[in-house]
Amino acid sequence: MAAPSKATVVLKAVKKITVQFCPFESNVRSTREFLALVGSEKARTTNMNCEVITVVKHDKSEPVVDITYVDGEKLLMKGANLTSSEMLSAFQSRCVAKDPQAKVGEKK
Amino acid sequence: MAATLCSKLLPKQGWVPLTQSVRHGSKAVTRHRKPLHIQKQKLLAVTQYIPPAREFPPGAYPSHTKHVQEDNDLTLLMKRELKKLFEDCKMIAVVQNSSSSAEDMMTLRHRLYKHNITVKFFPNKVVRSFLSDSIYCNMGPLFVGPTVMFVSKEPKVKEMLTTLRGSPQMTLLGACVDNTLLSAQGIVSYSKLPSMTVIQGEVVSGLSMLTSHTAYLLQRHPAHLSQLLQQYIKQQSSDGSAEAAPKAEEAT
Repeated sequence: MAAPSKATVVLKAVKKITVQFCPFESNVRSTREFLALVGSEKARTTNMNCEVITVVKHDKSEPVVDITYVDGEKLLMKGANLTSSEMLSAFQSRCVAKDPQAKVGEKK
Repeated sequence: MAATLCSKLLPKQGWVPLTQSVRHGSKAVTRHRKPLHIQKQKLLAVTQYIPPAREFPPGAYPSHTKHVQEDNDLTLLMKRELKKLFEDCKMIAVVQNSSSSAEDMMTLRHRLYKHNITVKFFPNKVVRSFLSDSIYCNMGPLFVGPTVMFVSKEPKVKEMLTTLRGSPQMTLLGACVDNTLLSAQGIVSYSKLPSMTVIQGEVVSGLSMLTSHTAYLLQRHPAHLSQLLQQYIKQQSSDGSAEAAPKAEEAT
């Protein structure tokens, strides 16, 4: 799997991330990788208020990532046919759009 | 070079050579790309590689033959250890950690070691190839991404769950307890089960309930009859005593 473009994930504009999947299915690889990236220590230190909740189910349901932003917007990603890099790029583009000032400040 | 050529090919004075070297100013090794000699150019053009024409791109269809790699010695060692682990330990749980820090891992390992649960790391490829050969092949899809294995000889599920609740980034995926594959909810319900003695008592009482019910049904009719007779006797005796009392009263 190709590594994502940016190593760190900035969660400044995110309020809550809910990841639910069924580990015995074969299409959960990208969702699990996304969870590993988003739930890492580095990502969590960017925003301590952001909760990362994992729900492990066993009902052959699709893997779903539900992200709630600080301004109330929700992003729902169905990871059955997505790669983790696609999910990460979609998520980060929205984060950057929401919080460009903080990003620019960090880069500088 | 022209000078040396001339000196060799012109032994007598005034003799023009049959061949003349091409006058060029550059040496063999140059910084720019030297133009190829026409003969060399022709040769390269003729012997150019033409790849065979493919109908479909190479990655479109899966290949017929699966490329089987031989296990190197480290893999064999790890497989032997895995086999011993699966034979010894009654409980094997698979947990995904989205990178906890070293201190968190240390604390977790310490807490689990108190309940005799060890934490093991194995490369996913090795584990999956081992599982596909053994009877635990259905555990294969669990080992994707960063995974850790918790193994213990005794199935101490409750303690493990309470310890894992303390670290939020560990996600329990599944477990194999007593050769039975359990999901996350299965593990929770397993932990809520009462102990063996209680269950045995319940089973025995449940079985004996049926036989006692049958015995009760069989004895119902004679029991009913005896009850009715007793009631009748009581009534008779009460009537008799009631008759005897007024007779006695009449007599006296």
